[in-house]
Amino acid sequence: MRKVTWALSLLIVLSLLLAACGAPPTQPPPEAAPETQAEEATPETEEAADTTDAAAEEAAPEAEPTAIVAEAGTGDIQLVYWNGLTGSDGGTMVEMVEAFTEENPDISVRVEMMQWSTYFDKLLTSLVSGNPPDLFLLHEFEIPQFASQGVLQDTSDYYTSNGGPIPDEDILPHVMKALEYKGGRYGVPLDLHGWGLWYNKDLFEAAGLDPEACPTNGEEFLDYARKLTLDANGNDATSPDFDPENVVQWGTQVSWFKPTVLSTMWQYGADWTDGEGNATMNSEQAMAAVQFWYDLIYTDHVAPQPAGFDGWQSFAGGQLAMTPEGSWMLNFNDENEINWGVCPLPQFGDQPATWTSSHVIYTPTSLEGEKLDAAQRLIGYLTSQGLVWATSGQPPARVSQLEAMTLEEFPSAKVLGDSFMEFGRYDTANECIQEIIDIGYMPELDSIFNGIKTVEEGLNDANARIQDILDRCQ
Amino acid sequence: MDNEMIMNAGRRDGPTPPRKQVGSWRTWRWTLGNYLFILPFMILFSIFVIGPILYAFYMSLHEWKVLARQHPFVGLENYRQLLKDDIWWIALRNSLYFAFLTSAVNTVFALFVAIGVSRPILGRDFYRFIFYAPVVLSVSAMGIIMSWMMNTQFGVINYFLIWFGLPPVKWLADTYLVVPSLSIATVWWGFGFPMLLYIAGLQGIPEHLYEAARIDGANSWRITWHITLPLMRPTIFFVAITQLIAHFQVFGQPLIMTNGGPGRASFTTIMYLYQTAWRFFRMGYGTTIAVGLAFVILFFTLLQFRLFGRQSVVEY
Repeated sequence: MRKVTWALSLLIVLSLLLAACGAPPTQPPPEAAPETQAEEATPETEEAADTTDAAAEEAAPEAEPTAIVAEAGTGDIQLVYWNGLTGSDGGTMVEMVEAFTEENPDISVRVEMMQWSTYFDKLLTSLVSGNPPDLFLLHEFEIPQFASQGVLQDTSDYYTSNGGPIPDEDILPHVMKALEYKGGRYGVPLDLHGWGLWYNKDLFEAAGLDPEACPTNGEEFLDYARKLTLDANGNDATSPDFDPENVVQWGTQVSWFKPTVLSTMWQYGADWTDGEGNATMNSEQAMAAVQFWYDLIYTDHVAPQPAGFDGWQSFAGGQLAMTPEGSWMLNFNDENEINWGVCPLPQFGDQPATWTSSHVIYTPTSLEGEKLDAAQRLIGYLTSQGLVWATSGQPPARVSQLEAMTLEEFPSAKVLGDSFMEFGRYDTANECIQEIIDIGYMPELDSIFNGIKTVEEGLNDANARIQDILDRCQ
Repeated sequence: MDNEMIMNAGRRDGPTPPRKQVGSWRTWRWTLGNYLFILPFMILFSIFVIGPILYAFYMSLHEWKVLARQHPFVGLENYRQLLKDDIWWIALRNSLYFAFLTSAVNTVFALFVAIGVSRPILGRDFYRFIFYAPVVLSVSAMGIIMSWMMNTQFGVINYFLIWFGLPPVKWLADTYLVVPSLSIATVWWGFGFPMLLYIAGLQGIPEHLYEAARIDGANSWRITWHITLPLMRPTIFFVAITQLIAHFQVFGQPLIMTNGGPGRASFTTIMYLYQTAWRFFRMGYGTTIAVGLAFVILFFTLLQFRLFGRQSVVEY
């Protein structure tokens, strides 16, 4: 009897463990709160889930744990549209959908917005259970991961070249190319967002810098950062009396590692892979690119150690003068009444390059009949409204819309959109891209920038991990 | 008559249980009713717990991409990979560190608080309420609150440290401090529950033992040491075991407060499991991590049984 009791006790222990449903103190959160900044910071933060900077961003202004649902129209054909736009651009999206249902009274749309972290869990579950939404938003680099498992509809026939309504000749060629996977074309791009340099004009003026001029290369960037970094005694980083242990205003920060480091590596002629199945994260050029940012923290003392530093709040509070950040920062800056300026990412290396990405609208393979037709009409409408979408800071994906933007109407989207068209780059597509980011290099970059590993150690480790993943994911 | 009543006191109604004859019909008939009582639970338990456990083990023997239609059988390959996966070992080390630290502090701290609030002090119920209140928070709410309080730049804890002329502390941003900081946050959040168990345990100690000790001239400390603690051994053992099992599976706190950083200093096993299964769609390897963790916890649970199990039986 005693043995039976023991066996039963152990079975219960085992079952608790395997079911991963322990006592309250360790249950997973109903909403994985991490990515809560402007949802754009998050989609990628999704992948980048490990940057402490992301953690800082997350902590920033608001945490919205519940899904936001908006009903548009009363038509009989009912569509469900999921996205992760929980920031103020979610409101812009809803307005666009409402305008669509007014023009198309036979269709009603239920827009469900949720945190990207929750979003991916829900999306995966819905796809597995065979009950996905009729439309959903992903990013272009996620296409291989999802398409390889057969859950995305090939949308080649949505485009005019195949008799559909979306003018593919009006979409940037490299954006179109990013939608292709094994002969198919997946989704319709909504925008082309990416990485630039945001700065505080008031702090520029206080440092005697021209608030309308930006640093354009690494040398100028460092010079600006030194003048903008102040210690508690008011000395800037050019002063011999500067106290790096007591900084109250930082010149810059690394920000979200993924876009900052990828952009810099590309500028130095490096990448995490050579595209032929080999990891190249520890190449000389990659080391030089990462070393550039490492030195800003530990040699020049113009950027803080990322862990524990809240970049967005510091920027809002006037404690950070320049930050590499995404085009989605516009609303945050406006809401916090920052006297902001924005410019293309400076050229730190030998060639201009900056990280970009796209929100892409998808339909599941299971969608058919009148719902499929309605979804195509909605997608066509949304992507034709790029200029409305650009009011939230995201440059549109269509060339005609990009060219129609004016500096007066779209000051940040215009500046950044032009740079994205000129030298923007997408990350290399791979079926295991999420793993490469989350396991391969992000934690290693975090270790490097927080002084846990040297640049060489961190990048060697990252390279080995990426190679392991590539060996499995060819 | 009175004597008979006294002799029958405590004896259950109904037929006298048969003498032990293993396998006999009388024994079965006697115990059948008991099994019927637990049958509904066992059916649900089998469907929703034992079934998934077996299925998880089955999945761990396959390359199981969640959305794929084909799941190739790979035998023990996932387990072989797990053993040489340094991220698994890093995550396991962090989980062990967190689990032992938090369970130890929680077990001891909650006990002393329980002893404190079991005494007839002014505002006893108020203190019980205040100490228990954080338990009702969700991990998300607790995580957000504590990550703001422990924020290096804007946190209220550092604000007071600076106010007292002390240097600010990088609670969640320092490689060595991050796990203890998560542990502090978790103890604050969760010690109310073991405190409740202890209070219940304390109420089960017969009052006459204390009276006798006091008559013999024992002071409070000696009463606590020689009566309360020994008689609380079963409850302490129960709390220690359940705390360890629970905290081995830490997930929400590091996910919300540190995202596993800095570097991988607070990256835990369940975070790795979650990431592998739900971010990378590798359910086969994810379940392998789950099975691996289950065996690790089983090992430590058995070890606890072995080391302390015998001491957990108390007879008055």
